[in-house]
Amino acid sequence: MNRLTGKYILITGASRGLGRQLAIDFAREGAAGVALVARRAEALQEVCDRIREVSPSTRALVVAADLSKEAEIERTVATTLSDFKGRLDVLVNNASALGPTPLPYLLDYPLEDFLSVLHTNLVTPFLLIKKVLPAMIEQGGSIINVTSDAGVVGYPGWGAYGVSKFGIEGMSQTWAAELAGSPVRVNWVDPGSLNTAMHRAAEPEEDPSEWADPAEVTEVFVYLASDESKDVNGQRFQAQEPNWGRTPEDALHANASSQ
Amino acid sequence: MTAPFSFTLPPELSANEPPERRGIARDEVRLLVIDRQTHRVEHTRFDRLGEILRRGDLLVFNSSRTLPASLQGCAAPAGPCMEVRLAEHLPDDAWLALLLCQRGDPFGCGLRPGMQIAFGEGLNATVDERDEHIPRLWKLRFSASGSALMDLLHRLGQPIRYEYVSAPWDLDYYQTVYAREPGSAEMPSAGRGFTWKLLFDLRRRGIETAHVLLHTGLSSYMDDDLDALHPASEEEYLVGEPAAEKINRARREGHRVVAVGTTVVRLLESVADETGQIQAGHGYTRLRITASHTLKAVDGLLTGLHEPEASHLDLLTAFLPAETIREIYEDAVRRRYLWHEFGDLNLIL
Repeated sequence: MNRLTGKYILITGASRGLGRQLAIDFAREGAAGVALVARRAEALQEVCDRIREVSPSTRALVVAADLSKEAEIERTVATTLSDFKGRLDVLVNNASALGPTPLPYLLDYPLEDFLSVLHTNLVTPFLLIKKVLPAMIEQGGSIINVTSDAGVVGYPGWGAYGVSKFGIEGMSQTWAAELAGSPVRVNWVDPGSLNTAMHRAAEPEEDPSEWADPAEVTEVFVYLASDESKDVNGQRFQAQEPNWGRTPEDALHANASSQ
Repeated sequence: MTAPFSFTLPPELSANEPPERRGIARDEVRLLVIDRQTHRVEHTRFDRLGEILRRGDLLVFNSSRTLPASLQGCAAPAGPCMEVRLAEHLPDDAWLALLLCQRGDPFGCGLRPGMQIAFGEGLNATVDERDEHIPRLWKLRFSASGSALMDLLHRLGQPIRYEYVSAPWDLDYYQTVYAREPGSAEMPSAGRGFTWKLLFDLRRRGIETAHVLLHTGLSSYMDDDLDALHPASEEEYLVGEPAAEKINRARREGHRVVAVGTTVVRLLESVADETGQIQAGHGYTRLRITASHTLKAVDGLLTGLHEPEASHLDLLTAFLPAETIREIYEDAVRRRYLWHEFGDLNLIL
């Protein structure tokens, strides 16, 4: 408890699934403020109400926005920084678009859908990082990008989603390299197979009971959001096959041995 | 009060588009460097700033984020429509704003206290009273406040744009790369040339940075007679403890404090005591800096090139004699430097 005391956090895709659970668990760990970003205000309000139950002292800010539009990203960041008085310690780029279902092969992928998925999953995190960086560059901060095993293995049928996650893996590495030596760290997490609406839509023939609940994988995110990981930068984490530790040395060692 | 000197600025020297749209990077604009002691002038490029500054020099930035401060609204019911340019957020949560009629005389809308203005998306404002200092400004009370108002401003507003700008450039073009908390009516544009690459390069060279906050007001009230008087608007500022400590340490250790923008000069000179010591704090300043002002906290200034009659020229005379600035400005015109927020930069050190 209270590993995130005083932290101000922005989470995209916070209305459901992993994002919702992260928001609740971050609040439970004593976060000072959590900005909840997603398209649907009603669903975000439910998360906001839940946060007030588990942590009345956490400031929960609802920002309903379509992050596929650049102006909406600026609105999201400006509203958040205005509310948090210029403070932001953690950004979780969690929102993802799957694309059309059933998932078409790349050969059949409509261009418009392909670009839309790349925009949501890759361009939006890029812009968000750019825009929140000024708030972190002096006092420090943690950027956590959500990736997938589809970002390191090319699975047939995972089309634009997989390509976008390959992009997230590369972009995260580049951000981490450019920010090395600064107090801002960039790491990325593969949460593994989760029982979420998006995953069920992607693989309707699979048994979702075999997949983890989002609540089972938030620990690594708390670790990365907290000061426990303040010297960890440029690392890939697998939430369900823990390759991370309580100290930077542990994390580096575990990561090195898993590669 | 009138400008300390005048000169002729050919219209083609107004930068009408951002450098990135002229085929160069933000930090590839030109840089005119003036030595305060010798008055010697050097012409270089902004991305070579690190070659001019010394290890230990402290750059002080204004990290205020630009608002989409121009709103379109109509007086209800069926009244005149107008552009509302936000100027300042007041301590009592009201706003000072310039109200410009969309048709005919910009000041002929028959504004009066109690008038209701509707902006859409459920946002309304009530016209309160005129500002006692700058009579073109009116006090407005919005139907939303805090983050809800911030959200609506970003849904409804546009950045304030002046006539020399060639296109309705997005708000992003009116932000510095290091902008944080929103609140400025217009971009604190002296810092627009910085890129992260340049900032990291400066850090590697041992050049220090500190961030303060001053939410800028309007640079023009769209009234030539009033603008010529250079009325000093009131602006909200915040200096945190870390910035105050950095500035005081730099001065104590004999390093130069370089303000990035006239807003930072106003702020630091407002909060400095007689010895130049900076106090952290939050407040409002209406300080007007002219040739008679003795600079206490600031050694150098990075700024844009200011148009004839601009009030910023008054401030420059605290750094250099008016005649020197006039000669250098006339030379800059001959050398085809570009003016305004998307233009070239001037370092006085």
